[in-house]
Amino acid sequence: MVIGLLDGGIDGAAGPAFSFEGVTHRYGSHPALSEVDLEVGRGETVALLGANGAGKSTAIAIVLGLIRPTLGKVTVLGTSARRAVGEGRIGVMLQTGSGIGLPPGVRVDQTLRMIGKLYRNPAPSALTVERAGIAGLLGRQTNRLSGGQVQRVRFALAIAGNPELLFLDEPTSAMDVDSRRSFWDMIRELGREGRTTVVATHHLEEADRVADRVVVIDHGRVVADGSGAILKASVAAKRLRFGCPSPDARLLDSLAGVTEVGIHGGEVDLYSLDADATVRALVGKGVAFTNLEVTGAGLEEAFVALTASRPSPDEAGG
Amino acid sequence: MLFLNNRRAGKVIDGTVPWRVYLMVSMCSFGSLVAALTAGGARLSAERASGWARQLRVTPLPAWSYVSTKVMAIMLVVLPVVVLVEMVGAWFGGVGLAGSTWVELTLLLWVTSLPLAVLGAFIGFMVHTETAFPVVTALMFVLGYFGGLFDPVSSMPHPLQVAARLLPSFHQPALGLALLDGGGQPAVHWLVLGGYVLVLGLAIFFKHHLKEARGLA
Repeated sequence: MVIGLLDGGIDGAAGPAFSFEGVTHRYGSHPALSEVDLEVGRGETVALLGANGAGKSTAIAIVLGLIRPTLGKVTVLGTSARRAVGEGRIGVMLQTGSGIGLPPGVRVDQTLRMIGKLYRNPAPSALTVERAGIAGLLGRQTNRLSGGQVQRVRFALAIAGNPELLFLDEPTSAMDVDSRRSFWDMIRELGREGRTTVVATHHLEEADRVADRVVVIDHGRVVADGSGAILKASVAAKRLRFGCPSPDARLLDSLAGVTEVGIHGGEVDLYSLDADATVRALVGKGVAFTNLEVTGAGLEEAFVALTASRPSPDEAGG
Repeated sequence: MLFLNNRRAGKVIDGTVPWRVYLMVSMCSFGSLVAALTAGGARLSAERASGWARQLRVTPLPAWSYVSTKVMAIMLVVLPVVVLVEMVGAWFGGVGLAGSTWVELTLLLWVTSLPLAVLGAFIGFMVHTETAFPVVTALMFVLGYFGGLFDPVSSMPHPLQVAARLLPSFHQPALGLALLDGGGQPAVHWLVLGGYVLVLGLAIFFKHHLKEARGLA
């Protein structure tokens, strides 16, 4: 079922979903975001990947107009953040804080109705209920829901208004594995309707599964931005590990594709941007290798490489 | 709060106002104060603590709409309380008034509860959940006592009489008593009450904006 979203808002369907230009935000002297330039196009599904405290939630709060950044410019759906929110074009699932994020002592269906009424073009409530999987919870009071159920209700509230731009901050934190997977499928389905979706997460697998584009945030800066595949390739290195009785470091370093050589006793680690070429070269040069193992850099390796080796802005004296 | 109404027997005259009338009006006022502060302070604090208020801020619901809906909800809680105290005053306290006077008095006391409702909302928005209840309780008794709801202001030492005139809990029953006394409605009461609505309303408005600017969301 396709709900026509491409009829666009006031500015039509042109322009990015939102953009940050030189956005910096400080809490006191602590920089939560530093000079962030980011543009997300309409219809993209983007993962904001970063450890807790990296700045993802601050960035989201800024796009939603909850925070006015210390420096920089933010445009949302062709207009200001507050106006975009006021026009009901944005749906949000905030991170679970100290409370459940639902009105105390109210029934789920009443809450859903209350929120739906705030939007110009809400989705049919039956559809929202089905998508969030809350059919059995409608008669329940909000304070009688389990953690995973609360998440699903909050997801329902986020999509109830049929928003053009959807923000989900750590949406699967309380879910079990199965619920998580079907949730990821749902996010993809929502994206296919032309919606722009941003998922903030610290789960590498979640970012990889859900999004076409991964923006890695670390210590308030964007350190990588690209498709999952590109990210893995850019930090590159497949690792070729093999046993070698008397390795010739200079020879190994000169092999096709090799960027780094590591020798530990009788074992050699070669990091290569083109593992196939390196293997052919190994054979061609007659290197005596045993138990060759080629491992790809997963997103985890990419993430660690991107975030671990950089000094934080404070350390760098910045 | 209703147990205080049992002291209705006395027919001692306070100024030109019969004691039992003074007591009834004061208790209506106190009742509306209690209702406004607990409905406002307690309930709103709970909504903030649960994170619901924050969620509403990312919906199209305008802030003023949220606040005014809450204040209206408080006013709706206050009305039955006023009526209830009046009923006790009529049946057990022997306060007799013309039918139309009852209606006028009820409306007057209800409308003049607005600053109390805004005060309740103010507390609900400003105060941390843990401290909301003690703050509300303290305010109830401070405003109640120093506003002259338990003992007439005229029986207090002069400095306290002056202080009382700063409190909404003084001016609200004063208007009620003035109505029953048949005298005029001194504008000063309306001004103070209106002032409270304005100042507290602005305070809520500014706090909302300050939060945004400082990014404490």
